[in-house]
Amino acid sequence: MSEVKWTKTISDVNDGILANLPNPHPSYYVAWVTSIICLAIGIFCWVYQISYGMGVTGLNAPVYWGVYITDFVFWVGIGHAGTLISAILFLFRAKWRNTVNRSAEAMTVFAVITAGLFPLIHVGRIWFAAYWMLPLPNTNNLWVNFRSPLLWDVFAISTYLTISLLFWYMGMVPDLASIRDRTKGVKRLVYAIMCFGWRGTAKQWWHYEAGYGFLAALATPLVLSVHSIVSWDFAMSIQPGWHTTIFPPYFVAGAILSGCAMVYTLLVPVRTMFRLEGFITKEHLEACVKLTLLTSTLVFYAYATEFFVAYYSGNPYEWAIFEKRAVGPYAFYFWVMTACNCFFPLLWWSKRIRNNVAVSMVIAVLINVGMWFERYNIIVSSLVEDFLPGSWGHYEPSWAEIGLTIGSFGWFFFWFLIFCKFFPIVSMSELKLIMPKPLNPKKSH
Amino acid sequence: MEQNMDLDLTKLEAKGSGLPRSESAPFENPPAEIEQGPLYVNIEERMPDLAADDQAPAGKDSELPVDRRDFMRLFGTGAVMAATAGCIRRPVEKVIPYVNQPIDQTPGVAVDYATVTDAPLAYGIVVRTREGRPTKVEGNGEHPMSQGATSAYDQAALQALYHPERRKQPQSRQSGTPLNVEWDQAYKGVADAIAKTNKKVAILTGGSTGHVQDFYKEFLRAHGQSEDQLYTYDARSLYSEMAEAWEQAFGAPGLPRTDLRRTDYVVSIGGSFLDQGIAQVYETKSFTAGHSFRPGRMGQLIQFESRMTMTGTKATERHPIAPGDETGVALMLLEAILRSPDAKGSKEEQAEARKIVEEHGALIAKTRESLGYKESMFDDLATGLLANRSLVMVGNSESTAADGTALQLIGIAINVLIGAVGKNIYYDRGWFRRPVEPRGMARLMKDMSDIGVLIIVGTNPAFSMPASSGFQSALKKVPTVVSIQSLPNETDEYASWVLNSHHYLEAWGDCETVAGFWSMRQPVVRPFTGSRQAEDILLWVAATGGKAMPYADYRSFIRAKWRSVYELIGAKVDFDTFFKAVQRRGFVGKLQRRTLKPMAAISGLIKSSPKPGGLKLVAYIDNRLIAGEGAALPVLQEVGDPLTTVTWDTFVCIAPDTCRKIGVKYNQLVEVQGPAGTITASVYPMPGLHPDTVAIPRGNGHKAGVSLVTTGIGVDPLPVLGGEQEAATGYPVTGGQSVKIKPLNKWYRLAAMQKENDIGNRTDIVKKTGLNAATANARKTVDLDTVPDLYPDLPKGEYLWGMSVDLSRCTGCSACMVACAQENNVPQVGREQILLGREMHWLRLDRYFSGPVENPTVTIQPVMCQQCNHAPCEAVCPVYATTRDPEGINAQTYNRCVGTRYCANACPYKVRRFNWYTHKWNVIEADPMNRNPRALNPDVTVRTRGIMEKCNFCAQRIREAKHKARERGPKAKVLDGEVKTACQQVCPTDSITFGNLDDQRSRAHRLRKDNRAYLMLGGDPAHKHYGTKTLPNVSYLADVVWEQNKSAGKPEGAPDKEEGDGHDHG
Repeated sequence: MSEVKWTKTISDVNDGILANLPNPHPSYYVAWVTSIICLAIGIFCWVYQISYGMGVTGLNAPVYWGVYITDFVFWVGIGHAGTLISAILFLFRAKWRNTVNRSAEAMTVFAVITAGLFPLIHVGRIWFAAYWMLPLPNTNNLWVNFRSPLLWDVFAISTYLTISLLFWYMGMVPDLASIRDRTKGVKRLVYAIMCFGWRGTAKQWWHYEAGYGFLAALATPLVLSVHSIVSWDFAMSIQPGWHTTIFPPYFVAGAILSGCAMVYTLLVPVRTMFRLEGFITKEHLEACVKLTLLTSTLVFYAYATEFFVAYYSGNPYEWAIFEKRAVGPYAFYFWVMTACNCFFPLLWWSKRIRNNVAVSMVIAVLINVGMWFERYNIIVSSLVEDFLPGSWGHYEPSWAEIGLTIGSFGWFFFWFLIFCKFFPIVSMSELKLIMPKPLNPKKSH
Repeated sequence: MEQNMDLDLTKLEAKGSGLPRSESAPFENPPAEIEQGPLYVNIEERMPDLAADDQAPAGKDSELPVDRRDFMRLFGTGAVMAATAGCIRRPVEKVIPYVNQPIDQTPGVAVDYATVTDAPLAYGIVVRTREGRPTKVEGNGEHPMSQGATSAYDQAALQALYHPERRKQPQSRQSGTPLNVEWDQAYKGVADAIAKTNKKVAILTGGSTGHVQDFYKEFLRAHGQSEDQLYTYDARSLYSEMAEAWEQAFGAPGLPRTDLRRTDYVVSIGGSFLDQGIAQVYETKSFTAGHSFRPGRMGQLIQFESRMTMTGTKATERHPIAPGDETGVALMLLEAILRSPDAKGSKEEQAEARKIVEEHGALIAKTRESLGYKESMFDDLATGLLANRSLVMVGNSESTAADGTALQLIGIAINVLIGAVGKNIYYDRGWFRRPVEPRGMARLMKDMSDIGVLIIVGTNPAFSMPASSGFQSALKKVPTVVSIQSLPNETDEYASWVLNSHHYLEAWGDCETVAGFWSMRQPVVRPFTGSRQAEDILLWVAATGGKAMPYADYRSFIRAKWRSVYELIGAKVDFDTFFKAVQRRGFVGKLQRRTLKPMAAISGLIKSSPKPGGLKLVAYIDNRLIAGEGAALPVLQEVGDPLTTVTWDTFVCIAPDTCRKIGVKYNQLVEVQGPAGTITASVYPMPGLHPDTVAIPRGNGHKAGVSLVTTGIGVDPLPVLGGEQEAATGYPVTGGQSVKIKPLNKWYRLAAMQKENDIGNRTDIVKKTGLNAATANARKTVDLDTVPDLYPDLPKGEYLWGMSVDLSRCTGCSACMVACAQENNVPQVGREQILLGREMHWLRLDRYFSGPVENPTVTIQPVMCQQCNHAPCEAVCPVYATTRDPEGINAQTYNRCVGTRYCANACPYKVRRFNWYTHKWNVIEADPMNRNPRALNPDVTVRTRGIMEKCNFCAQRIREAKHKARERGPKAKVLDGEVKTACQQVCPTDSITFGNLDDQRSRAHRLRKDNRAYLMLGGDPAHKHYGTKTLPNVSYLADVVWEQNKSAGKPEGAPDKEEGDGHDHG
């Protein structure tokens, strides 16, 4: 990372960040209303689907999984970068992560919550699925099937959500105390409760640092496990195109790529809305881009390996799927995926493009699109034409599926934007660690 | 009022027939013990063999009371009907609960009744009823025409019985608008019309054998009319053409009965006996018995046909010919046989044949030129025909050619010259009775203007006759048309009186399909829609009009007539016992013989001339929908055409090369322009069609509003046809009229269930083997179950259920799909859902084309749940909704399923079906898929939306068999053959065998060890490659490709190309 050219100092942190919370840039409200409209669309579609049945989707035989599982994997993937940035980069002492970790963690929590909705949206009988998938004791002695990757998912995702939530909340405690100190009345009470009476004593800091370090260490394996397990949803079935051992690392790389791209996509507007340009500088954004570029090349490598292995296996069923992915009826999705995830990020090898926020933003959004298509491609193109040519089919998403996908974005941004409004989106306490000290310390308020 | 009627009826009978009215049948105790021993016997051993007349069941029949125990399973209606005879007319809607339980019914225990179908050449069926409701139709295993199997159409009979659109009341349409009336009014109205008219009274019915036509004649006589005013008609003109030709050739009426079981070499010219023919179930059964692979031996079928039929897919050698070329090809064959020194037949017959050939030299030359056939090819065929037990089958019942009867006559000449008549095709013993008068329709058209009252019973000529024939316009001019139908149809629109008659499962009747073999039709359910039996309606009309016939009801008519059957059989018991025994068994028979004259001079009757080239239309009768009769039954629409897999639609089949030439593609709409009109439908490029063929199925395209099921479904190709008529019988020509195809720039997607026709390089899905290889390895066994893996041993149950499907036998008749749907309450979903790929069939037929597109090899593979021992679906279900049962069944727990659909993704065979919606069962509204709950099988759960379902080897049948076994003793086991799955039971080809794989002696076990056995997606075990290692309990037997038997070097007709090129020999 190139040397950061700070324009602000530690003493500007609390003022600069917290002062903007009550009065963000007007674009914030535009974004918030848009997200509510999207959410309303999604809620309508879901209610409609529950009322009439899964037939309102475009799913069919043989494509029993489609956009919903794509969305599920997409959002789990998005939720991946948070832990990577906050935990792994913390352990590696990458200083730039201190500016972005809070937003990355918030993104993680909300993305995982969004992802968690999709298995419920997807199942045929949500009224049972909501609790039958959990190992709850019952009088019928009915137990869940621990051999099923879907059940592993339940545990993986819930563990990940718990740890992410704790990690995120714990990191927020000193900042909540700062807000408490600046507010009055009921608000003060609420923030006071939320920060557990943090006073910033040396002992508290000592415990905080130790606990934070431990949580980071605990969260680190999850970065690898969650998406590995999600990939087993596919890899553990014998479906050609799914049944490969490369899936866990491939999915983890893909998840980090989509997560980093999403962090970038979120940081740029949030930086403007809450006037954080002095704290999240171009250099920090560039560091994020570099990480994204690295994972993009990893993903590129994974794609190539997957193809090679399919060819080298000599399995006609496996190779037929890959051949069709590239040139068959679903080739469009494949090439969108390859272009967005492998080729567009290559532009970032140029420092000028890397530092051009507008262009980089476009590439980051394209990566998000590409990663969505990657999951769509894996799921649909494998299912559509598998073993028996006699049962081959066709799939197109229906309006309900598209509506629910839009709704999921509404849901995610709804919570994310609310969070931005009431909590510091930049970790103030951690930011202070990497910012220059003021030459003339002002009196504190 | 009903009471009074019954009283009146008693009086009528008292003064009339003078028959003893013995209604008090003895109550029969249930059998104390059930016969032990293997229930599975070879079908050949069990069936009364019509050919081997010495073992004909006639002798057995005389001892019927002694054999009563055998028939207890088909528990008779004798007692039931006696108990309810007084109230049979009263519609009773609620059958359950029994406050006073009938003594012969136990709730939850099925009662089977034997009856017969209503096909022109009907076969025996057994109808399973539960608490008085029929729930399933099965073939009557003892009936020689059925031999336990049924066709797809007859499987669907229950949907017609329970059809929500059946009328509840008779209708008067005199004022133009339909007006519901009481039965009394209807009787009076019709009687008045008959009394008033000064023109003739006539009756038009469908094809039938037995006494029903006698009844109509008696009705006409009672009204002072001539018996000739009974007209019979069936759209399947083969009945008429064949009857006409054989009568002309041999001077006696009837239809010939083939014996394909004892035939090795069949040449079929335009024949489609496996599709419909005249007796599809019988001929399919005997064809597969005689022709399918046995070590060293396999029948040959050389097929000449213009479109692609199921019969063609079973051919060892198939030649596409243009529509109308059938006569030319038959003549070439006749010419070749005459060239052979071995030709049989008397001198006169040979001379006659020579005359036929000589008179048609031009036609032969033209056909030879246009098809490019060498003489040597026909010499080879002639050699094959003369050297083997052979038969030539000509003509099909799907379409009518202009010279259909001439073709039949040529066929007779060929069969005489190869010595098949009397050996492989019978007209002198056990021949079929003639169900329709050959010229019936032609005669009616001529007489129509003289008819004042036309009573149409159970046939729909207004739909099945093309408008260009002038039938509809003539019918309009008939002053009073009475339409007696069990379901609304187009003919009703022309009628002044529309009377709702019984479905055949509610009716009495009889038939004599094979001369001397009498079957009884009896009601299997109390009529519940307010309908009446057609014949009873006529009795009432006669009584109301003061022309009372001497019968209380049609049943007493049948009883009176059966006196003669009783005498014919010569039973040693009294008539009542005889009658009841027949009811129980369904049929009785004594082989009839007659002496035939030698073949008459027929050359003068054969008039056939060369036809012009160009595209020709074949508007063929679909084997499921018949000529529209099956169209209102959703299950028949939904199983689809087996070769195109198109459901719920009419399609235009054109050869792919011709499609390219005229620039049309799959799903593109085209205008088919014929002599009389134009229709628009979507194109299905069909491999194997002759380039000049345009084949369009009939049956769909009903008038809007006739039925909600058929409204908006398909188009009827008949309006295209010009008024050309078959030369001898006067039937409208539906095959061979010239048409033009005009591509439209519009598209309409056909709801085809299968999107991919090519199996590509996948070698472990469909396997084929050559006849020689199969013979050489016949004694070797394979072990499909030893597959190395790291899993612990599977838990062992009392049984290990398994199935074997023989690909070399299956013809694709789709009866299994219908049977499965009926047995397992599988819903129909309709065209829109099928377009989305959401059909619910638990059992589907995958169809693959291979080889040249002009004349491909077709393989049809029934695919049901493979019941894997290492099922990929089981491991992935998070809630244990699908689990392996210790008996090898992959069980699905509907109540536990939450619908993640992961199992369906994991299933490599894609046999799982998801309920995308809740399919309603109790209403028919705008959605024609909604079905009547009474037609459901009470043993099988109805699934709601969000649940995965699939084949479970008819678990309810296994359970029932286990209960029965338990009754025999605490340790008694289910015997081999005691459980038959629905698909197995119905299969006319015996492709499916089900049984206990753990039992070394079971047939299923033997077939799993057969050298041809393989597991789908099971790799190539011989080379230590085990594919997906799912270890299914369903195994397939590889298709056998016919090839010249090298070792024997028999002088069989060598095919000019090797079938099965490019396939791996498994």
